[in-house]
Amino acid sequence: MALLHIAEPGMSAEPHKHRLAAGIDLGTTNSLVATVRNGIAVCLPDEQGRTMVPSVVRYRTDGSIEVGQSAVRAHATDPKNTILSVKRLMGRGLRDVAHVEAMPYDFMDSDGMVRLRTVQGVKSPVEVSAEILRVLAARAEASLGGELTGVVITVPAYFDDAQRQATKDAATLAGLNVLRLLNEPTAAAVAYGLDNAAEGVYAVFDLGGGTFDLSILKLSRGIFEVLATNGDSALGGDDFDHRIFCWVLDRANIAPHSREDGRRLLMKAREAKELLTVCEEVPIKASLQSGEEVNLVLTRDEFAHITEHLVRKTLAPMRKVLRDAGLAPEDVKGVVMVGGATRMPHVQRAVAEFFDQEPLNNLDPDKVVALGAAIQANVLVGNRKDEDDWLLLDVIPLSLGLETMGGLVEKVIPRNATLPIARAQEFTTYKDGQTAMAFHVVQGERELVSDCRSLARFELRGIPPMVAGAARIRVTFQVDADGLLSVAAREMSSGVEASVLVKPSYGLSEHEIAEMLRQGMDHAGDDMTARALAEQRVEAGRVLEAIEQALAKDGELLDARERMQIDQSMAALRATLDGADHHAIRQAIDTLSRATDEFASRRMDKSIRGALAGRNINEIEV
Amino acid sequence: MGITLSDSAAKHVAGFIAKRGKGIGIRLGVRTSGCSGMAYKLEFVDEPEEGDLVFESHGLKVVVDPKSLPYIEGTELDFVREGLNEGFRFRNPNVKNECGCGESFNV
Amino acid sequence: MGVDLQQDHFTLFGLPRRFGIDRAALDAAYHELHSEVHPDRHAHLPDADKRRAMQWATRVNEAYSTLSKPRPRACYLLQLEGLDAGFESNTAMTPDFLMEQMEWREAVEEARNAGDGDELSQLHVRLRHQAREQYGHLERLIDVDRDYDAAAELVRRLMFIEKLQHEIDDALEALET
Repeated sequence: MALLHIAEPGMSAEPHKHRLAAGIDLGTTNSLVATVRNGIAVCLPDEQGRTMVPSVVRYRTDGSIEVGQSAVRAHATDPKNTILSVKRLMGRGLRDVAHVEAMPYDFMDSDGMVRLRTVQGVKSPVEVSAEILRVLAARAEASLGGELTGVVITVPAYFDDAQRQATKDAATLAGLNVLRLLNEPTAAAVAYGLDNAAEGVYAVFDLGGGTFDLSILKLSRGIFEVLATNGDSALGGDDFDHRIFCWVLDRANIAPHSREDGRRLLMKAREAKELLTVCEEVPIKASLQSGEEVNLVLTRDEFAHITEHLVRKTLAPMRKVLRDAGLAPEDVKGVVMVGGATRMPHVQRAVAEFFDQEPLNNLDPDKVVALGAAIQANVLVGNRKDEDDWLLLDVIPLSLGLETMGGLVEKVIPRNATLPIARAQEFTTYKDGQTAMAFHVVQGERELVSDCRSLARFELRGIPPMVAGAARIRVTFQVDADGLLSVAAREMSSGVEASVLVKPSYGLSEHEIAEMLRQGMDHAGDDMTARALAEQRVEAGRVLEAIEQALAKDGELLDARERMQIDQSMAALRATLDGADHHAIRQAIDTLSRATDEFASRRMDKSIRGALAGRNINEIEV
Repeated sequence: MGITLSDSAAKHVAGFIAKRGKGIGIRLGVRTSGCSGMAYKLEFVDEPEEGDLVFESHGLKVVVDPKSLPYIEGTELDFVREGLNEGFRFRNPNVKNECGCGESFNV
Repeated sequence: MGVDLQQDHFTLFGLPRRFGIDRAALDAAYHELHSEVHPDRHAHLPDADKRRAMQWATRVNEAYSTLSKPRPRACYLLQLEGLDAGFESNTAMTPDFLMEQMEWREAVEEARNAGDGDELSQLHVRLRHQAREQYGHLERLIDVDRDYDAAAELVRRLMFIEKLQHEIDDALEALET
């Protein structure tokens, strides 16, 4: 029996029409899921009251999959099949991954994103992440007593397109409807800003388990505007553990160790790091399988000394982000600290020195990202009234460009441009009768293609044959509010839409995703058709509800004939819902979409005019 | 008669209002819809509407519109936990049949 | 007033077509428009609505990024007045200006080679002051004198200054890493 929650005034849902939404912080070492319940954002605990799920997935020989705490325990005995820190592998090739030699996995050497051989076959990091997402979603559904309508998943602000796409693909595999990919520091700013009614320029310093982000935001009257972002998607608390680990090997003069010894020492290193947050010095003791004994004392000063270069690595992004925002450290009103690794005293000190002020620590740095994501998910799913909403304006972290002659990059979209953004470039053919063209899209700030991340190669086909130089092909790059790139192309003189075949450099093709989805369903004994039918019915319900609301509000924008057409298309869609043909439902949805296209334009125009109405009269002619 | 809150419900409502940072109480009500004819409404109240009836329970304001009252008169709002799920339940003496979902009923 | 994706940036924000801009009014209009069109406002709606929201929000961002910065705003205004924005092809500059540019460039080069971050920052500040002065001049040329040819000439000079500023940024960045 469903239990009720307190809704915002006037926002009670119809029975069975609750829009359940969750925010997911898919972290390198730990993940969390949060929701807004009774008007308050909360992280959802398991039966034991634990909110954090270790981001660890174990594939077992019996075909089952363990995620979280129980998988952590198995790491010692089954390292090859127990995947830790998979976030570091998302959208990455084998050569890009730091400390790959220290990872116990059986990597497959292939082009594109890394793959791992496990007892359950070859797995992509996307599939591993999907397992974590499934567990988090199941927890949310059990806690909310219903199916999730949508989720917001957070990603490091400095994630590139391939890493973002991989995250979204993982959600698709887990069967989740992603309302938005939200940048972690922005999520934290939402939780912090709303809690403290903050106004002015704030910096969010987010040092997680494996990623570092720094965002500068301007908060004013409900608008959260990201001015600039920077970071390092391969720097985090894990690197500090690793430094202590190396220090121990060096000081204890230990020879190359067994895998089990390595794991034990790394765990000791992590414990020491955490203890040094509260203690001035900690003992590190361990008896190894090799018979060697470790008995050392690590002081806070020594720890600060051996990790000084890591802390220094955060300084350059701090200077850069301020320069990009056109600000000086003293313009920043507050620095919000996010991520467990910001608990380290010398990190706090470095940030305090740089900004010449004490950083803000009044929200739990482990939870604040998930809470912000939940708050945003609640808005996006439509559980709040528009007028008391806030708005997030986020940016693209890294420039997008195309490869040109001589391996140089031509920038198409600059970093820190507000999303969504589109830019078009024109190209021409260089041979008579040429009907195809190839492009290479890269992301990064450097001038040479080889110094940037390769995102994709795409090919235009179906260009009408003309003499060389006569075709004018306009290629449009569109980056959406999730920070994801799509490419469209059109030959301008003939108006022919060229088809774009995209081959992601480190991502999965649509075909691969479909195949993984199918396999997953076979495994779960799920029926693909039944699932497609359920999905189309939900979508149909959503479309019908949205159009009914629009008609009630703005019906006068239509004349009688237009209205009749829409009514007919709605009736046609309703009729298909009784059947079991998901294709028919999809077709009816598409027909209805087309029938309401003009109506939707007029409604958008009306709301835009409404937004500008008051001001036009008062302020234009001054 | 009137409308009351259980101890547990009162404690949670007070906590939620405090954390939400605004609101003078909660609104209980019904509307016609749902699988068994009537559906419950449970919302925060920022300001009461004209004609609203206001009850007090455990020092908290419980607002009901006059049309809803006959259907929920005598209700005690409770807060319960079931596994990972937790939330409010209407203990309504007027109910004859309830939809299995607990969100709608008839009298 | 008709609203469509093709209208000019000033009309979109309900602002007069001038170089001298009321920044507060621009920011307010930008925020108000986004409150209506931003994809986050349409995330729970069907795909067709989401696509439309993305188009509109993209349009609003393009307009804002053009009008909120003086050099792109000037280029855009001149383009509306029918002046070709193909500035790169027209680089005939007075000898004095070119001389001055060379001196600047040498100063940047010197500071860079010496690894002198302070000097680079100083140069940056001086360039910013110079640019600000020129923008005052530009406002007069466009809004008062309506001398668009002279304005275009000045915009070209400002592009040189901008380029120098970028070079200094790059040099500073290189010093830090």
